[in-house]
Amino acid sequence: MHKQNKFTVSHAPFWHDGDSIGETNKNIMVAALPAIVFGVFQFGMAALGVICLAISSAMAWEALFQFISKRSIQIGDYNAAVIGMLTGMMLPATVPWWVVIVGTLVSVVLGQQVFGGIGANPFNPAVIGIAVLSVSWGTYFDFDAALLSYEFDFTALAPLGALDHQGVAATELFSTQSLLMGNQVGAIGSVFGLGLIIGGLYLILRGYIRWEISVAYIAGIIITAALFQMSNPEAYAGPMFHLFTGYTLLAVFFLAPESSSSPVNLIPMLIYGIMGGVMTILIRNIGAYADGTLYAILIINLINPVIDMIRPKALGKGVNNA
Amino acid sequence: MPPRLILLLDEALDSTKETCIRKGDIAKKGEKLFLYKESTCYVTAPTSGTITSIAPFTGDFGENATYLVLEKDGKDEPADGISDFADVPDLAAADGALRTLPGAPPLELLAAPDSKINKIVISGMDSDLMSTTRQYLASKCMDDIKDGIERIKNMTGITDVFMAIPEKMSQLSAFQGMNTIKLTQDYIGTLPQMIMKNHMGIAPAAGTSCEDLGVCFMSIEAVLSLTRAYKEKAPVFDKIITVIGKDGGIKRVSAVIGTPIHRILTQLGLETREMDRIIIGGPLEGFSAYTLYHPVQPDMDTIILQDCEDIPGVSDYPCINCGKCVRICPAGVPVNLLVRYLEANLYQEAVDSFDLDACIDCGLCSYVCTARIPIFQYIRLGKHEQLMLEAEMETEAENA
Ligand code: SF4
Ligand code: SF4
Repeated sequence: MHKQNKFTVSHAPFWHDGDSIGETNKNIMVAALPAIVFGVFQFGMAALGVICLAISSAMAWEALFQFISKRSIQIGDYNAAVIGMLTGMMLPATVPWWVVIVGTLVSVVLGQQVFGGIGANPFNPAVIGIAVLSVSWGTYFDFDAALLSYEFDFTALAPLGALDHQGVAATELFSTQSLLMGNQVGAIGSVFGLGLIIGGLYLILRGYIRWEISVAYIAGIIITAALFQMSNPEAYAGPMFHLFTGYTLLAVFFLAPESSSSPVNLIPMLIYGIMGGVMTILIRNIGAYADGTLYAILIINLINPVIDMIRPKALGKGVNNA
Repeated sequence: MPPRLILLLDEALDSTKETCIRKGDIAKKGEKLFLYKESTCYVTAPTSGTITSIAPFTGDFGENATYLVLEKDGKDEPADGISDFADVPDLAAADGALRTLPGAPPLELLAAPDSKINKIVISGMDSDLMSTTRQYLASKCMDDIKDGIERIKNMTGITDVFMAIPEKMSQLSAFQGMNTIKLTQDYIGTLPQMIMKNHMGIAPAAGTSCEDLGVCFMSIEAVLSLTRAYKEKAPVFDKIITVIGKDGGIKRVSAVIGTPIHRILTQLGLETREMDRIIIGGPLEGFSAYTLYHPVQPDMDTIILQDCEDIPGVSDYPCINCGKCVRICPAGVPVNLLVRYLEANLYQEAVDSFDLDACIDCGLCSYVCTARIPIFQYIRLGKHEQLMLEAEMETEAENA
C-alpha cells in the first residue's frame, strides 16, 4: 500500500459562485463612490472627513461591541463599513465630529448588534442612526442653515426644505436636470442623483440588490406624487421633483434594499417597494417632516416580516395526485 | 484489470451474526456474493479470485456499508450458471443477476411485486454538471440502445419509455420514432423532477419520489450494459467514467467495477496532494471520497479532482437574507427561512412550514449562498433526521 494523503471531505456542492458577504459589501461601497466623490467635490474636504470618520468609527464600534459581547470580530467583511458609509452619506458636511460618532454608534450597535448582529437587524441600521440623530439634534439636519457658509453657483437651497417653506413655487427654482446633476443643497451622499442612479444600476446588474424593490419604490414615488399633483397642482410638487430630492434615490438603491430588513419574494418585494414610495410622499405632502424617507423606510422595514409570508407554493405542494 | 478489486455491499457488517462469505473464500467470475444468508443485496464478482478482507465502510451520516477485497487469481474462471439469466429474458431473472451492471439498472425497483412504475425515462443527459459520460454513450451504439429499449419494454411490459437527450445532439435523427424528450444544457432542466414537470405533465408532489409517481429513471449506460450482457450471455463490468483533472481537462476512461480510483488517476498521470478534494459524481450533487481506495461503483459517472487551493470555504455567518437562494431554487422552497430552522435542528417545523420536503436536492442554494452557509448539508441532514424520526414513530405506533 502506498502513502495515503489526507483529503478534504465535505458535502456537496463543491463549487461556489464566488460571492461572499465581503464581496457584496465591497461592491456596495464601489457603487456609492460616484455619489460620495461628487459630495466631496461639492462640499469640500469637510465632507470627506465626515465620510471617513463615519466609516472608521462604525468599524470601531462594531469591533468593540463584538469584543465585549465575546462574538468573533468580523471587521473584514465591511459590514460596519457599509453602515458607517451610508450613515455618513446622509449627513451634511458641516456636522460636528461627535454627531458622526454618536450616529454610527446608534447605527451599528442599536441598529444591528443588539439584535444579534449581521443578518438579524429588523430595520436598516443606518436609517436607525440617522433617525435618532435627526430627532435628537434636528438643527444639524436643516441643510440650509448647516451649509450657510458655502457659496454655490446654483440655488443654494435644500429643495425639500424650500418646498416645505415656500410652497410649490419653490420647485421652479430647480430643474430636473440640475437636480440630477447635483445642483442642490443636501446631505453629502444624496445630492448627486445621476451618481446614485449609476451606482444603483451597477448593483442591480451585478445582482447585489433586488431590483424589484428599487423599481417598485420608484413606481410608488411617481404614482403617488403624480396623484397629489393632479389633485392640486398649486399645492403639490411633481413626481420628478420628489424623485431627485432628499434621500429618495439613496433610499431606492441603498436603504430600502438592505437585505436583512427587506423581503425576498416577488409580491412582497413589490408591496414593500411601492409602500416605501407611497409613504415617502405621504409624509412629505401631508406629514410634519420635509423629507419623509427615513420614516417611510422604518415603516416598510416593520411590515417586511408580515408581507414576506406571501410566497408562492413550493413544488408539489397543494396538488393532489397521490 | 487491477490485481485487487474492492466491492461495496450496501449492508452494514453486524458483528453478532456470522457472514456467509468469509476471508479466504474463492469467488468466481459472475458469482453473486451475499453478506448474510438472509441478505437481499449482493455484489457480483467481476473476476475470479480470493476474498482477502471484509471490513466496514462508512458513508455519509455514518451510514454503514461493507467492503470486500477480491484478490484476483488471473484465471477469470466463470461461475456455474453465469448465463442462466439469458435463457429467459424476464425481469426476476435479470434482477437476480444483473443488478450491479455498469450504470446500475434499477431492476430491483422494476421487479418489485408492488412496483407502481408505469413510465421509464432513459436518461442520455448526465445527472450533474461536468459529467459527459451519458452524453458520450448516447452518441454511440445507436443499435444497442434501440435493442436495449425493446428488451426493457418486453421484460417490463411498460410501453411508455422516453428517451431524454440533449437538444443539440448531432445524431438527433437517429432517435426518430422514439418518444424523445429534448433537453437544453441548463442544469435545472435536467433534474428528474423537472423533466417530469416540464415534459411529461406530471406534477411532482412534495415528499414523494419520482418512483412513487410511477416514473423510473434509468441511465443510458444501464440500457447498454443490459444489451451487452444479453449478447454475451454474461454480466459485464466495464464502467465508463469521466475524469476531470485539476486543470479542468476531461478524460474518459473505462474501468472494471471495483477498481480503486487511485489506479485510474495513476494511469492518467493525475496527482493528488494533501487536502485536495476527490469529488465523485458532480460538483453540485456528488460526494467527496476520503480515500483513493474508493472503488469504481456501478453508478459512478464522474470523478473530479479539486486542488486544495480551489476549495471554496464555508463560513459560520448567519443568513443575511440576500434572497439569492430563493431566486434560484427550482422547487420554490423558502430557503432563507428554512435554513434558520435547520440550523436550530427544528426539523419538524422545517417540513411543516418551510417545505423541506419539496426540495429536490439540486444543491443550487448552497452554490449561490452569499453567507456561504453549507445549506445543502443542512438540508440533507434534515431530511435524514426526519426519515429517522418518522421511522421511529412508525415502530412506536406498531409496538403500541
Ligand atoms: S437544494 Fe436548495 S435550491 Fe435545490 S431544490 Fe433544494 S432547497 Fe431548492
Ligand atoms: S443565499 Fe444564503 S445568505 Fe442569501 S438568503 Fe439564502 S441562505 Fe441567506
